[in-house]
Amino acid sequence: MIPISYNVRSLMVRKTTTFATAGGIALVVFVLAAASMLSAGVSKTLVAGGRPDNAIVTRKGSDNEMSSSIESKSVSLILATPGVKKDGTGAPLGGGEVVVVIAQDRLGGEPGQVTNILVRGVSDNVLQVRPDVRVIEGRPAKPGTDECVIGKGLVGKYKGMTIGDKFELKKNRPVNVVGVFEAGGSSFESEVWVNLETARSSFGREGLVSSVTVQLDSPAKFDAFKATIETDKQLLLEARRETKYYEDQSQGTAMFISIMGIIITVFCFAGATLGAMNTMFAAVAQRKREVGTLRALGFSKFAILSSFMVESTVLAVVGGAIGLLAALSLTLTRVSMMNFQTWQEISFSFAATPGIMLTALIAGTGMGIIGGFLPALKAAGTSPIEAMRG
Amino acid sequence: MNLTSIAARNIGRNKLRTSLTVSVVAIATLFFILLRTVVWSWTSASEFSKKDRIATRHKVSFIMQVPKRYVEEIATLPGVTAVSWMNWFGAKDPKNETDFFATIATDPKSLLDVYSEIKTTEGEKQAWFEDRQGALVGDALAKKKGWKVGDKVTLSGTIYPGDWTFNVRGIYTTTTTNVDRSTLWFHWNYLNESLPPRQKDMVGWIMTNIKDSSQSGRISKEVDAKFDDRDLQTITMSEAALNQSFLGMFSAVLKAIDIVSVVITLIMALIVGNTIAMGVRERTNEYGVLRAIGFLPKHIVRFILAEGVVIGVIGGLVGVLLGYPVVNGALGRVIEENMGNMFPQFKVQPEIAAFAFALAMVLGLVAAILPARKASRLQVVEALRRVG
Repeated sequence: MIPISYNVRSLMVRKTTTFATAGGIALVVFVLAAASMLSAGVSKTLVAGGRPDNAIVTRKGSDNEMSSSIESKSVSLILATPGVKKDGTGAPLGGGEVVVVIAQDRLGGEPGQVTNILVRGVSDNVLQVRPDVRVIEGRPAKPGTDECVIGKGLVGKYKGMTIGDKFELKKNRPVNVVGVFEAGGSSFESEVWVNLETARSSFGREGLVSSVTVQLDSPAKFDAFKATIETDKQLLLEARRETKYYEDQSQGTAMFISIMGIIITVFCFAGATLGAMNTMFAAVAQRKREVGTLRALGFSKFAILSSFMVESTVLAVVGGAIGLLAALSLTLTRVSMMNFQTWQEISFSFAATPGIMLTALIAGTGMGIIGGFLPALKAAGTSPIEAMRG
Repeated sequence: MNLTSIAARNIGRNKLRTSLTVSVVAIATLFFILLRTVVWSWTSASEFSKKDRIATRHKVSFIMQVPKRYVEEIATLPGVTAVSWMNWFGAKDPKNETDFFATIATDPKSLLDVYSEIKTTEGEKQAWFEDRQGALVGDALAKKKGWKVGDKVTLSGTIYPGDWTFNVRGIYTTTTTNVDRSTLWFHWNYLNESLPPRQKDMVGWIMTNIKDSSQSGRISKEVDAKFDDRDLQTITMSEAALNQSFLGMFSAVLKAIDIVSVVITLIMALIVGNTIAMGVRERTNEYGVLRAIGFLPKHIVRFILAEGVVIGVIGGLVGVLLGYPVVNGALGRVIEENMGNMFPQFKVQPEIAAFAFALAMVLGLVAAILPARKASRLQVVEALRRVG
């Protein structure tokens, strides 16, 4: 075998070309990884909102809470369904919620640029129903008042969204921000939580809720719960596991990003592969004499072929690693984007998974292997006599 | 033999390399055209918006409604020529639930007054007006679903529960891209009559035509002032502003596409620059000879730059020539049919194609600058000594 150090040195001799080719590959890997990480980030943020032992009930036929409405009298029926967990006092853990998106001015954006923020009217026991949510600053809202807590993703980004400040849900109906909560990175962190009655009267939803969320005794109780809820044909309700519900909510947006990412990657991949091929062809042509000498010394055609393949692979791996590192640095940033299903602006971060990193590296290496194959074949076919003569 | 022909011959010398580089430029140009067409198609609705049309909706939330009587009150304002109202219905085709299209309840007669862009035949128009359960369907939607005039269509409501049956009474098309060609419009009365009392007589949003488009700001303010002391306040803006604020929600996506466009040009510049640099390196001693027989460094610079431009021009041309059939023929048809609500028209715009072509040419030039400078600075003796 021809030692790898020969290839590494060859790459070093042509520094500029090596750098440019690796740079091209790095950009492709960067784009691929960034798009996948973004898509994973959306899914992760939305799916994180769900707990396996929680169930969400909406009106049958509604895709999400926004288009659902349930009459108040059904809420007590749902809460009384067997399988719903009780707290220490015997009260069911769950409650009806009202969900509305409101237009809010974005701070530091262009004038007139508004964003849809999700306002959720919640029951007083909401922090018990969703134990993953913790107030990290200020305090929880007092029951029965026009106070609200906001997700930490909203703080300082929109008008009125800081502790001590207030904003209007309706003319002359301001709500005061008293606390900030975190929710394990889920989309709740982009929501405003107000008292259920405040939301109902501000949005004209008296006697109605959008959805009912309950905590079950255990995740295994879900099937029985669902069966009970959905057999009552008069109620016309649909129960979903909270995890499943949020997964469904994320699909449209995550898929959109994935498809865009794939299209972009395919085009860039083709371009960078041709670029790598060009570089390797040039390398082969330049070193015709060297290759001839190697052949004359007794190295087999296969050894030459693999040597050039190794060289282009090394080039690609270096490029891929640079691109991947750059993409990983994106995990430190946060992005805001609208969720297509709910029109709600959610903020999330790039999520790097081992699968994404592996795919990106494989794609990078693939560019080197595909781009290097034809030139390596040409090199292997060099006739020693001719090469040394020319 | 002059310098230009030397440059041209140099390009033809390594045909494999040149064709690879040209392909890279062509791919990048094609992709650039595709990306910019996405942005154009997406944002063009706001460019085509009518200046004499204003929209009124609930002040706080677009998912909430305003009373129907607001329509009559707006109609009495001076300078208003036509008013119509709409309500988002949000129904799905039970046969294919994931397939999204808009279903909107409206007042048929005033809708066609306000939206002069919606075109249908006189006969279909009258038939739709007369049938309480009648629907007017966009041509793109009708084609995709295979619906014809006279068909009965049953949809399931997501906001308004139950099954709803409509009779397709007309197919419309539009003259501009700001109106979706995949909407099913039907009688607001049909919806309103079947609602429980508390949901009755509410509308999603109101569209108003005004006589003088320069008055749109003033009339918008007047409308909002009129309802300011009522129970439900409104916000009114021009159709262009409405579309703009809608696009604002997608600003992250649009920004991402912009970034990708820049990355593409970077990749392209790197690869083209690299190819030219390789060519220059291989021909170093030829440049030495040229210099030795009296050519000046500026001549060397010129023909290396010319080489870059020629590669850019050929690649750009191939990219543009591929762009039309790929974007208009293959992708455009699929996108218009399936995502017509977001991309009402998906076609290459001549100015985008021209820009992409010019970009390819300029990039070829820019990519050649560094190798050209390097070559021009070589000492003659040094260049002649260098082999391969």
